[in-house]
This record gives sequence, C-alpha cells and structure tokens, in this order.
Amino acid sequence: MSMAARILVLLLSPALAVVLGLAVRRARFSEYLNLAASVAVLLVALPLPFVAARPTTFLDGYLLVDPLGAWVVMCVAVVYLLSSIYAIGYMRHDASRKARLPLFYALLAGFALTMLVAPLVNSIGVYWIAIELTTLVSTFLVGFERNAESMEAAWKYIIVVSSGISLALLGTTLLYWGGTFVYGETYQLTWASLVHAAPQMPPVLLKMGFLLTLIGYGTKVGLAPMHTWLPDAHSEGPAPVSAMLSGALLNTAMVGIVRFLAATDAAGQGALPHAALVILGVCSLLVGALFIVRQRQIKRLMAYSSVEHMGVLALGFGFGGTLGVAGALYHMINHSLAKPLLFFGAGNAMHRYGSKRIDDMRGVWRMFPVSGTLWLCGAVAITGAPPFGLFLSEFAILRAGWGGPYLWAAIAMLVLLIVIFVAFLNHFRAMYLAEYPADPGEPPVRAVPMERDSWYAGWRVLPMALPLVPLLLLGVWWPASWTALFHTIANALGAHP
Amino acid sequence: MLRDVLAQIAQVLTVLLLSPLLQGFILRYEERAQRSRGPSLLQPYRDLRKLFRKQLVVPDTASWIFWTAPIVAFTAMLTVPILIPVLTNYPLPLSDMGDILGGGLVLTVGTFFVNLAALDSGSAYGGIGASRTVMITILAEPTLILVFVGITLMAHAMLPFVVNHLLVANPAIYWGSTHLFLVAAFFVLLLAETDRLPIHSSTHIEVYMIEEARVLEYSGPLLALLKWSGMMKQFILYTIFCHVLLLPWGLSKLGTVLGVAGAVLAILIKFGIVACAVIAVETTQARLRFYRYQEPLAVAFLLAVLAIVANQIR
Amino acid sequence: MNAMLATHLDPLAASLFSLLTIASLLLAFVMLGSRWLKDYMLAFAAQSWLIGMLSALVGYYGGYRELYWVALLTVLFRGIVLPWLILRILRRLNTARELHEILSTSTSLVIGAAAVIFALVVAMRLTADLHIVSNVVVLALTVMFSMKLIGFLMLALRHEAISQILGILVLENGIFLGAQILVPGMPLMIELVLLFDLLVAVACFGVLVRYLLTHIGSTSSRDLRRLTG
Repeated sequence: MSMAARILVLLLSPALAVVLGLAVRRARFSEYLNLAASVAVLLVALPLPFVAARPTTFLDGYLLVDPLGAWVVMCVAVVYLLSSIYAIGYMRHDASRKARLPLFYALLAGFALTMLVAPLVNSIGVYWIAIELTTLVSTFLVGFERNAESMEAAWKYIIVVSSGISLALLGTTLLYWGGTFVYGETYQLTWASLVHAAPQMPPVLLKMGFLLTLIGYGTKVGLAPMHTWLPDAHSEGPAPVSAMLSGALLNTAMVGIVRFLAATDAAGQGALPHAALVILGVCSLLVGALFIVRQRQIKRLMAYSSVEHMGVLALGFGFGGTLGVAGALYHMINHSLAKPLLFFGAGNAMHRYGSKRIDDMRGVWRMFPVSGTLWLCGAVAITGAPPFGLFLSEFAILRAGWGGPYLWAAIAMLVLLIVIFVAFLNHFRAMYLAEYPADPGEPPVRAVPMERDSWYAGWRVLPMALPLVPLLLLGVWWPASWTALFHTIANALGAHP
Repeated sequence: MLRDVLAQIAQVLTVLLLSPLLQGFILRYEERAQRSRGPSLLQPYRDLRKLFRKQLVVPDTASWIFWTAPIVAFTAMLTVPILIPVLTNYPLPLSDMGDILGGGLVLTVGTFFVNLAALDSGSAYGGIGASRTVMITILAEPTLILVFVGITLMAHAMLPFVVNHLLVANPAIYWGSTHLFLVAAFFVLLLAETDRLPIHSSTHIEVYMIEEARVLEYSGPLLALLKWSGMMKQFILYTIFCHVLLLPWGLSKLGTVLGVAGAVLAILIKFGIVACAVIAVETTQARLRFYRYQEPLAVAFLLAVLAIVANQIR
Repeated sequence: MNAMLATHLDPLAASLFSLLTIASLLLAFVMLGSRWLKDYMLAFAAQSWLIGMLSALVGYYGGYRELYWVALLTVLFRGIVLPWLILRILRRLNTARELHEILSTSTSLVIGAAAVIFALVVAMRLTADLHIVSNVVVLALTVMFSMKLIGFLMLALRHEAISQILGILVLENGIFLGAQILVPGMPLMIELVLLFDLLVAVACFGVLVRYLLTHIGSTSSRDLRRLTG
C-alpha cells in the first residue's frame, strides 16, 4: 500500500465517520461507525512509523509524513481505538442522552481527525491552526454533559488554552520574521526550512521565538505553571474524552515543541531552550506530586498524573541526546497505553458508586473483580513500577539526564517520582483495601442498577484488558526495531548521543 | 532694552488685568450654552472691586500664615508670567530665572500656602478643602511633571521659548503623535487644575467643595487677592497650554507696541477658542464622584507616557 | 541582506504607519480603561478597521497585491462580522458592564502604561541586537508586545466572559498588526486561514456563552468556583 493511500485511509476514515454519523442520526449506527473508523485508523497507523523512514510530503508540501509525526499518529490511533470501544459502554449508561449520541460520536471522530492531522502538518502556521482546531472541537466534548461543572471546565479550557497558544502564534511570527533575514520576504515556513534557516537566523530572535512557542504550546501540553486548565477539563469530560485528551492530545502539542527544539539545536543555540524545557518539566513534576498527595476526586487524580507524565516527557526531550529522545518516545507510547486504562476504570467506578470522590469509593475489589484488577495494574503501571513499560522509559530518561549538566533535574525527577508513586498508590490502597471513613453504617453506594446485559460489561472491560498486554510486553522487552527507529528520529532532530 | 523691560511689565499687567475677563467669559458662556442669560463679562471685575471695599474680618485662631498666604499666592502668580511666553516669543529680561519646571514649582508654592492657611484657621471646612485639594494635587502633579518631561524630551530643552519656536518651525513635530498626546494630557490636567467639570468644586454647597472650602474664612481684600490669584492661575495655565503646546502662533516677534497689541488681541482669540472647548466639555460632562477623580488623571498619565514612548521612537 | 519593507519607507508612509499603529494602541487602552462592555466591542471594531487600513497601506507601499484582499477581509470579518457576533452575545446577557473590579480602571491603566514601557525597552534592545535602524520596526514591535500584554491584562483583570473573549481577540489583533508591518510577505493562505479560524473560534465562544448562561446562570467568572483542587 503506497504512502499516499495510507494517509488517505488514515484521514478519510474519521472524516467519513463524522459526515455519515451526522447524516444518519442513529445512536447505534454512530457507535459502530466510529468503532470501524478507529479500527481502520489503527490498522493504517500501526505500521506507519516503520514505513515512513524517508520523509514524504503530500498536498503540495502541506503534509509531511516523517518518523516522528508517524510515531505520534500511532499513539493517537491507539488511544482513539480504546476510547471508541469504551465509549460504547460508557455512553449507554445514561439513557436520557441517547438522542445526542450521534453528535457525541461525530465530535469524537472529528476530534480524532484533528489530532491525526496535527502531527503530520508541515507548515508551521497551519500547525498552529490545527492545534487551535483541536481545542475548539474538544471544548464541546468536555462540555458534553451540560451541567454547571462541565460548562465551567469547558470555559476555562478554551480561554486558557486559546490565550496560551496565541503566545505560540507570536513566537511563530517572530520565527517567520527571522527567516526573512535568510530567505527573503516570502517563503513557505516548513519545519525543514526552519531547521535549514536556523543557523543563519539572528540568535536572539531564534531563542525568543522558541521560548514563546514553548510557553504557548506548553499551555496546550499541560506543563506547569500553564496547566491550570488540565485538571478541570480532564475531570469533567466523559471518561472516553478524558482518555483521548490525556493520552493523545498532549502528545500532538509536544511534537511542535520538539520540532522547534530541533531548529534551535541545529543553530547551536540549544543550551537555553533545553534548560527551559527541563525547568518546566521539573515544575510539572512538582505540581503533579503536590496535587496528587492530597487529591480528593478520582479523575482529577488521573489528570494530575497526566501533568506529571508530560513533565517526564519534557524532561526526556530536555535532557536530549539519543537516549533522552528514545526514552521520551517510548514514554509516549506507554503513557498512551496506560492512561486510558486508568480513566476507564475511573469511569466505571464513578458510574457504580455515583460519586467522583475517592472517599466514596471503597471495596473496589468486591465490586469489580475483573476490571478492578486491571485498574490496579494500570495504577501500578502509570506510577512507573516494573514490569510495565513506563518503568523502562522513565529509567532511560533518568539515565539520559544523569550524565549531563542537568543532574539536579534528574535527582528531582527521581525524588518526585517516588513521591508520586507512594501518594498515588495510597489512594488506590484506600479504595481497594480500606473501609469507609468514619461511618459504621451502610456504605453510601447508591443502588445504581448494573448494566443489564453482559455486553455492556464487555465494552467496558475489554478496552482495559487490551492495553495491558502490550504494556507488560514493552516492560520486559525493548524491541530492537524500535531502537533503530528512535535512532532515526533522534538523528533527524539533531540530537547527539 | 527698555522696550524689553516694558514688554515684560506689559506681560505681567496682561495677566493681572485680563484674567478676570477670561473667568467672566467662561462663566457667561457656560450659562449661555445652557440657554440661560449668564452674568456679564465684566462681573468678576465688579466682584473684585466690591471685595476690596469690604471690611476685613479675621478669626481669632488665625496666625501670621493667615495674613501672608494671600500675599504669597498673589505674588507667585505675578512672578510666573515673567518666565513664560505671554506676549513675545523671545525671552525677555529675567525670564531665565526659571524654566518650565521652575514655573510649575512657583505655581505650586502659592497653592501650598493657601492650603496651609486653610488649616491655620482651624475650621472644619478648611481642613476638608485642604485635604481634598492635596489629594487631587497628588494625583495631578506627577502627571504634570511627566508632561513637562515629555515637552522637554520633544524639544531637547527646558525653556518654553525653545518649544514654541520648534512647534512653529516644524509642522511635522506639531502634527506628530508626541505633541498630540501631550496636548490631550495637558487638556485633562487643565480641566483638573482649573476646577472644571468633571472635577468640580461647588460654589454654594460647602460639603461638595474642594478648593472653595479653603477660603471660607477669608473676607474683604484678602479674599479679593485669593480670588484674583485663582483667576490668574487659570490664565497662566491657559497661557502655557496655548503658547507652549497648542497654538504657538500669534506672539510678538520684535516687541514693538503694535506687536504687543496684536499679541493681546491674539490672546483674546486663542483663549476664547480653548475656553469654548472647555465649556463644551463642561456642558457635556457630569460631575464625577470623588473617588473616581483618579480616572481622568490616570488617562492623562497614560497619555503622557504614550507621548514619551512615541517620542523615543520618533 | 535584509530587504524588509519596514526599513525602506519614505517619511510619509512611515508617519502614516506610526499614526495607525499608535491609534490602535490607544484603542487597546480604551478597552482596558472602560467598564461598559459595548465600549469594548466598539473599540475593538475601530481597532480592526485601523489594522485593515494599515494592511492596505502596506500593500500599497510594498507592492503586495494580496494584502488588499487581506485588508478587505480583515475589515469585513474582524471589523464587522466579529463585532456583530459579539453584539448578539451581548444582547442575551443580563449585564452591560463590569460590576465588580479586581483592580480599578485607573490602576489597570497605569499598569498598562508600565507594560508599554517594558515593551518599548524589549523592542529597542531587540532591534539593537538585530542591527536594524528603523523606527517603524521598533514601533511595530513595541505595539505588538504591548497589545499582547494589555490583552493578558484584560484577561486577568476582568471577569466578564465578553471581556475575556475580547482580550483574546486583542491578543490576536496585536500579532496581526505586527505581522503586517514586519512580515507582509507571509503567504496569503496562512493569513486567510488564520482569519477564518478566528471566526470559528468566536462562534464557538458564542455557543459556550449561551451554555454558561443556561447552566450556570451568569457569565461572570466570579461564579465559576465549583472546580477546585
């Protein structure tokens, strides 16, 4: 299958799901259409990084398929499939919402489409527009359950992120201006032309442009202190949406930062940008740790875990070098596998207990024998414990930082990861093994009628079981073909071992 | 030389004699703009004459400040016209005693003494008036200084005469953004300092008074001196506004009798124009609440800062 | 060698650009200093018109034909359609002005003046580093950075939803203004798509404000206090 055909299937499947779903407004049809689209996307996206060894451009140079973009597309596709499977069971829980389900699935497919396009975009201006579009579409997904909290979360999301990425637009404009010093007045600002022009650009403009885009896209990624929208948006949306936001969207914004970083590295001005990225990473880890320790709401707990992991990603790319980049990319796929698992378990628990508070959830093992085990495995995985894949990636990033000038950051990362491990699993210990606080009477579990047929349970448990296999596999085996791929990407980014 | 000295004396006399006319003009046409009859143009002269003939009553608690404050204020107002271009556009004898900043400081000395006198007599209204005046001064003086700084940066000199020549000779600077912002800022300050709406000191109701409350204990000739010095301060501010910033034309170049007379006529016309603008603003504005007086002054501050920024980029 | 338009301007063009740019900045301050939501919208519309005129002038003096289209579309979309959309949102609201202040308007004006001075210093150092000797470039950079800072000030100090939307639009206006002077040769497609993207964004804002009104009952961010921790 040629590359053009792959990209066509990749982008057309969700687009078709949007159009057809809106045309035929039936809930069941939309569910299965979305599922089919996500399967098609995954089938195309899985081998994509390995066949995209040589970057190819499409659409008059506006789309670029290179290994880095294809890797992120693969992560997005994995999360899209898992969320699509889970959404079927989750959204059927509330029968009153059935009339709006086609809209939900259309939005979901549209959201996936924008996230699939963004890493493949070649022009820097169009990349900004793609990120803005992801924000706009996901806002309506976050506010889908039209109650006061979701509206508040959606409003905060769109305002904070829009104002944040306007800074990125300023940085893009400044970089374009810097490019005019090299290329003349009019030229196409693609990633490649930026890297090519960077050595001859005025250094102050390059650094200023990078810092602005770092803060701008950092808002979208959720790096502290620009993370303020993240806990609200990720906790108020429906669980499949939270999984997609957390596991897929943050990665697409990270790609932009990484590509800008490559440009500064090519110009030899990489010291300040790398330091800035490392500082933001440590801040994110710190904020994540502090808020995880005293968290009361289950989905906000997962959201702060996302902040923490984006901090780890930032540290990986900030430490640089082939090992840092490889660790970060490995972390991306493992995070995309593990985070949906957590959100799905949280969604199940929320529906069963009727509350979002951790204090209201006790005796999870009794309620959910099978999915509870899976959820616990996910929690152990997300905190970076072996034998899951996140352990290997965090270890690689630590090693990348240990030998370099950012030893302080590596030590901070180590300490904070241990803190997060303890705090996060403490909440799970309370949920699984502890009894209800202070109240000796009946546990306040509302008698929510469990799903009437086992099909529902299947839809809800399957997407939790599916990622666990690769997570375990990747935790004990780092594929050699992946090492070669990471080397290619690191070389393309200009990272020196 | 003798001509210059005579021109200098003529400047002081112009300010002395024409300031009540300006006040009369503003009061009359303010009323006329609201379709009532309005007092006569010469009414302030008649008021001053009446006051000079009245008996002087001094409170028991007054000290020497009570007696000296009107004299200091009056003298300060007589001193400032020596420093600024009123009739001629070249420096006259003794006009290098002070530059723009010096003129501003001398103006403030008079106000300062009147504030002291208001506190001196120990009446409640005096205290209110003095504190309110000082509050507005705190807000307005930095802006005034900033406007003077802007003028200085624009002309690279601190003498008002140099600024006048620059604006007449260079239309590009006259129409540039620095100058326009400075005019706008100074106009707001003019409204604030001459007690025009939206910052207004009522003349009848003591509780609303700002500056009028300071002189409630005065009577007779001392009151006449104070009122006259208030009118002269207004005239001087108009002079600075017109001759240094807005309408720098119409000044006598050589100091001949004909030139000076023409300058006086030009003063009448120019001040009439500015007074009409002030009347227009006063008629359309309502009085602001006291705690909101910072707002127009903040706008003036902002405009002055923008003028300086625009100047640096010029 | 840099053949930037802004460094080779004849004096009349330079003064026209300066006038339009400074007037835009002044309108940004009008937005910062007023309390009435309708005033914000009108100032924003006026600002967009000025920036459209600036586009047309840059196109005229630099010989960029496509900038005429950009100017026309700017005036049409940012100057007419967007304010009209915001006016529609305003009509549904039950507030016409900012009721509670975090900082009084005069204080925010003074902070805005400090922001302008900061932007000026940054712009002067930047152009000194780049060895550019053009006042229009310094002015363009100053106004671009100042409008960014003023936009963020509006976002931070105002709590009405409309003010926040307009703050974001001011942010974008500032970038657009700077881009017209500094990089007039930016590819046309990018500029057009940015314009349409803005339109879509404001439409989304409008829908969200409607939902805010329905589900929370007010559009003031002082009432958005349910999500903490």
